[in-house]
Amino acid sequence: MYYFDHSATTPVHPDVLDLMHSIQKNVYGNPSSVHSQGKKAKSLIETARKQIANTIGANPNQIIFTSGGTEANNQVFWSLLRKEKKHVISNSIEHPAVLKVLSELSTHGIDYTLIPVNKKGRVSSINIQNAFNENTCLVSIMLANNEVGTIQPIKDLAKLAHEQNALFHTDAVQCLGKIPINVVNLDVDYLSLSAHKFYGPKGIGVLYFKNKEAISSLMIGGGQESGFRAGTENIASIAGMGLAAELATLHLENHVSELISFESHFKTGLLSFFPNVIFNGDMNNKLPGLVSVSLPGYRSDILLAKLDRANMAVSSGSACGSGNLKPSHILSEMGIDDKTNISTLRFSFGASNSLKQIEQLLSKLQSILTD
Amino acid sequence: MGHITVGMSGGVDSAVAASILVEQGYEVEGLFMKNWEDDSKYCSAEEDYKDALQVCDVLGIPLRSVNFAKEYWDRVFQNFLDEYKAGRTPNPDILCNTEIKFKEFLNYAKDLGADKIATGHYVRNQKLNGKIELLKGLDPGKDQSYFLYRLNQEQISTALFPIGNLEKSNVRARAEKLGFDIFDKKDSTGICFIGERDFKEFLQQYLPAQPGIMKTSDGTKVGEHDGLMYYTLGQRKGLGIGGGHGDGDGPWYVLDKDLTNNELIVGRGHTHAGLYQRCLTASNIHWISGEAPTSENLMGKIRYRAQDANCRITNLNDTEISVEFEDPRFAIAPGQSVVFYNGDVCLGGAIIDKAFN
Repeated sequence: MYYFDHSATTPVHPDVLDLMHSIQKNVYGNPSSVHSQGKKAKSLIETARKQIANTIGANPNQIIFTSGGTEANNQVFWSLLRKEKKHVISNSIEHPAVLKVLSELSTHGIDYTLIPVNKKGRVSSINIQNAFNENTCLVSIMLANNEVGTIQPIKDLAKLAHEQNALFHTDAVQCLGKIPINVVNLDVDYLSLSAHKFYGPKGIGVLYFKNKEAISSLMIGGGQESGFRAGTENIASIAGMGLAAELATLHLENHVSELISFESHFKTGLLSFFPNVIFNGDMNNKLPGLVSVSLPGYRSDILLAKLDRANMAVSSGSACGSGNLKPSHILSEMGIDDKTNISTLRFSFGASNSLKQIEQLLSKLQSILTD
Repeated sequence: MGHITVGMSGGVDSAVAASILVEQGYEVEGLFMKNWEDDSKYCSAEEDYKDALQVCDVLGIPLRSVNFAKEYWDRVFQNFLDEYKAGRTPNPDILCNTEIKFKEFLNYAKDLGADKIATGHYVRNQKLNGKIELLKGLDPGKDQSYFLYRLNQEQISTALFPIGNLEKSNVRARAEKLGFDIFDKKDSTGICFIGERDFKEFLQQYLPAQPGIMKTSDGTKVGEHDGLMYYTLGQRKGLGIGGGHGDGDGPWYVLDKDLTNNELIVGRGHTHAGLYQRCLTASNIHWISGEAPTSENLMGKIRYRAQDANCRITNLNDTEISVEFEDPRFAIAPGQSVVFYNGDVCLGGAIIDKAFN
């Protein structure tokens, strides 16, 4: 299997896998127990908390572990029900783990404004500025988009929010290991992460919060995670995520230069036999290794199936398995017409790839596109 | 060996069809089709997809999926509603085969690179003198050629029907032996998008009902109806007429619909003369070979579960035929199809407009 879908999920790093395996086998204590087996488990969790905190420039007591990015986002938004001000500003190309939560919360008295993006998928400060009202309590903008990779000017936007006495959340799920993340530098109040996007396990994630007053628990129970996330901890996954975050940060520079080389190799090759290709997103502010390409005249579902047949995994933003393909809402919001939209594939390269694999991908694409 | 895309419904027939092609050495892929957008408890699409996936896992073949809900709505369901509005009894499954399975699905499979498609229909096809013929399935209780009579030469020659020469019991036995979870899954019945729900309730969502009276053919009022579209000629159940009315004994049947006066004509007893007609006219003629059969004496079937019966066809004009059966037929319903056979060979058919004696 040639895997070019690292933005969907990543394979688990072998060291992470070894660690998790050994923990599952040996450390079965409940971290809440006072005996040594329990303490051993507890200390593994706290080590991971430090690793995560170091990765993003936070204090360990500002980190809680969740079941993933979706839960982290949900926790931020559902906390709003306890606030007096009930207006949220977000943007139209967020993940459903933001957009659908807001839509659900609108039946609970939360009001929200979605600001548009430009052709490159960037939000503008002016639009955010204009969306504030006296009830605005939160602005939530993703750090980088999952479909086109466009990176948002979070630092500037967070500053704007703070000037208006609103808090700022960013969904950074796509970013760890691809760009440096520092919560102090970005000055965000909340940040969500998910381990399986950076070679960690699935089903585990992180919520960073600047102040604990600004958060309440979604899960009620035994008081784990300082009362912010009840439920016996998933020790192996938490420890695995801690290590994965540490490795991702340690190898950030090398990994990024590798991703950039994959990307440029791929783009050059594709252009050479398919000059009509359109590259989507903001080429100057983009996650490395994530390439959204429109191939006018083709349908993404057919291309995807043909690549799959050649054991090559990629994805498309259009609703999968739709005969009457539903265009990707993200690309639509960026002003891309439906026909171009449904011809779009996302290639996301990663640690499991090599230049030789990119060559093979290009050669397969060439045979499909020039058939 | 060619590349075959099998329409996988999540049912046992298509599953076994796929397994036979795999055994025969074809390169096989499953394609699951969703034609109806419905999140209600009545829609089994998600369960069906999981069932299809288990089958494909066992067979080690890929499963892809495709959504033709819009095409189905525009080209099959709209016609279904129009026909009901006109007081007729349409057969959407026939239209689904010509418009969706053997058009949209077929084209999509070709785009995916398939040489042929295959389905789990109980029919067979064979080449004869440069033409392709559609034959009844060998299991007389399961033959589905009635639903496929509107296919043309190209559609039939691009299709494989791997279970057409099997008995249903054999199909189930194969499915169990192969380890398909669905080996004993219930056969789907009735119209796919209605599923298990109440037909009246379903139709009410789309068509306004005009209640009126029910009367016998001599004009005696015996009850009220909820709207003519809810009734089919020959229908016995759900009329809600008590005993004590009218002529004779036995249960009540729907004999006719008087659309002009919005009245339902009913009569008692399975042998009521008003339930039987010998003749019909039909239009929307389709001949599988592309030409009308030369022999005038053929067998005709006036609904899926009706017996074939000797009949004669007369061409009224280019678009209309008249069919005369040797013996009267029970409850010929406008909107249903009359399908013609020469032995096992399905020749084609037409859509019934009117029945008479």
